[in-house]
Amino acid sequence: MSDYVIETHRLTKQYNNDAGCRNISLAVPRGTVFGFLGPNGAGKSTFVRTLLELLVPTDGTGHILGAPIGSVKSRENVGYLPELFRYPEWLTGRQLLETHAGLCGLARDERKKRIPFLLDRVGLSGRGEEKIRGYSKGMQQRIGLACALLSNPDVVFLDEPTSALDPIGRREVRELMNELRNEGKTVFLNSHLLSEVESVCDYIAIIHKGELIVQGEWRKLSAVKVQVEIALAPHADGLWESLAPIVVKAEPIRKEDDRSYRLVTLSDERDIPVLIHRLSEAGISLYHVIPRIPRLEDVFMYWVSRKESESFDVDYR
Amino acid sequence: MWIIAKLTCREILSKRIFHITLFMSFAFLLFYAVATYFAAREVGEDFTNRPVSADFALVQSFFATQILGVGLYFASFVTALLAILSSVGSIAGEIESHQIDTMLARPIHRRSVIFGKFAGLGSLLVIYAAFLFLGVLLINQWIGGELLRVEFTVVQAAKALAIFVMQPLLLIAVALLFSSMMTTVNGGIVLIILYGIGFIGGFVEQLGVLMEKPTLSNIGIISSLVFPLDSLFRKMTVYLFDSAGDPLSFAAQGLFGSLSTPSGAMLMYAALYGCAALWLAVRRFSSRDL
Repeated sequence: MSDYVIETHRLTKQYNNDAGCRNISLAVPRGTVFGFLGPNGAGKSTFVRTLLELLVPTDGTGHILGAPIGSVKSRENVGYLPELFRYPEWLTGRQLLETHAGLCGLARDERKKRIPFLLDRVGLSGRGEEKIRGYSKGMQQRIGLACALLSNPDVVFLDEPTSALDPIGRREVRELMNELRNEGKTVFLNSHLLSEVESVCDYIAIIHKGELIVQGEWRKLSAVKVQVEIALAPHADGLWESLAPIVVKAEPIRKEDDRSYRLVTLSDERDIPVLIHRLSEAGISLYHVIPRIPRLEDVFMYWVSRKESESFDVDYR
Repeated sequence: MWIIAKLTCREILSKRIFHITLFMSFAFLLFYAVATYFAAREVGEDFTNRPVSADFALVQSFFATQILGVGLYFASFVTALLAILSSVGSIAGEIESHQIDTMLARPIHRRSVIFGKFAGLGSLLVIYAAFLFLGVLLINQWIGGELLRVEFTVVQAAKALAIFVMQPLLLIAVALLFSSMMTTVNGGIVLIILYGIGFIGGFVEQLGVLMEKPTLSNIGIISSLVFPLDSLFRKMTVYLFDSAGDPLSFAAQGLFGSLSTPSGAMLMYAALYGCAALWLAVRRFSSRDL
């Protein structure tokens, strides 16, 4: 059994207007929440739809759970909540789930247990007999989630799963993703909401203008720069220049009483004790040192701008 | 496939247009029954004092087949309309709304969707067409009286019914092809124009035979090759009235009968036409982006 549930090699889906995604080579580890990040129109949904054969790839290959994409087998153990979710309005929530249970070959006994469980799990307990046309947008997204989880799949594709949900609903979906990971399932989360990805994902991939910028463990990718927030007593001018090259940058944040707060960017994590030692040696009182974990937004911008500068270099070489 | 078929049936049965059509179909049958009753009474009064002759038999046969023919023609028209309206958007509409996405993300072949839709729509429309056909026939037999009742055997009626219900099946197959290729509106327009070509071509052909104008007949034949729906209706009337080759009956059948008999090859052509449309629909739908 491969460690990767989704593998693609230079998977490409190009439209006539050059939009889509290009040469995406991705490996999604089993049992993780994998965040697929990118701004609107970056090609995230195109990529997922290509994996699920809703779009025909123009180039490249891909496998889901070892089966080539485009084959029925590749979709046997997969759940999908699309970004543009829409279900037959004339069905009740329960009838929708019954229909999908039939489509994924769920045994009758299993359906009887699974459907009430999922209706309850997505917060639609007691609403399953209502027609979908009477559901709010959020309720439709919830029934879509139940639909995606119906066959107890190993891989769940969630494309912007909280777009119609209120803050409580969003938190519930985050909890659900965590639970799925704990059960050994893999969640492929498509989102442009960085905060959502930041809070649940183990791995991320960033896509921009149809191209994969970077992929890997969130913890490692987030180590794009080492920053500490420090509070220190007044000091002589030229202090920071003297600390080069350990200190890359020292931006003033604020001043309170006689303390000045700065955000110090270091070239390496190992320089943190060196900085403290050097400040202490210089006789400067240090009140606090707080490592600053970069926000996903910073990480995202870092990798995107790095990629763009690389392209810029290539163009003019 | 059967789940899609079941879903398709459920969808149509839940639509208001179906309920309205069903209600209006009953209204049509009621109106047709009343019209047949009064026609039989009026014609009966006219013929009471006339001596029985060859002319009398011709006129009586003309009235009988015309009354039945017009009923069947309208039944065929309504069935065709319902077939077009219910099927031309059945795939395109779901693609446009993305409703089909979650279904196709399941472990099913795309061809199951086409065959499922065909089975669902086809079974409902066959039942509907049979209901109208038998309704018109029963009214003719029960209310038409001696003068308007068209004589035919059960085998004739069964053969005619089999051809009659082929019409919606052919339409659904072609509609599914268009629905898998283009938007609902475009598909609807193309199909209605094709239906119009068949409809007008059929009449032109009848006139061509009547007036012995080969060009007009050829136009009709070409239109039948383009869209063989009208040939099915004509073949159905031949089976029901069983009058092909009889000059007396040719005249008796009028505009709603069949002056030129579509051949068995044309029947086969219509069946192959439908199968080819379905096959192309599967091919097109299987290779397209959604």
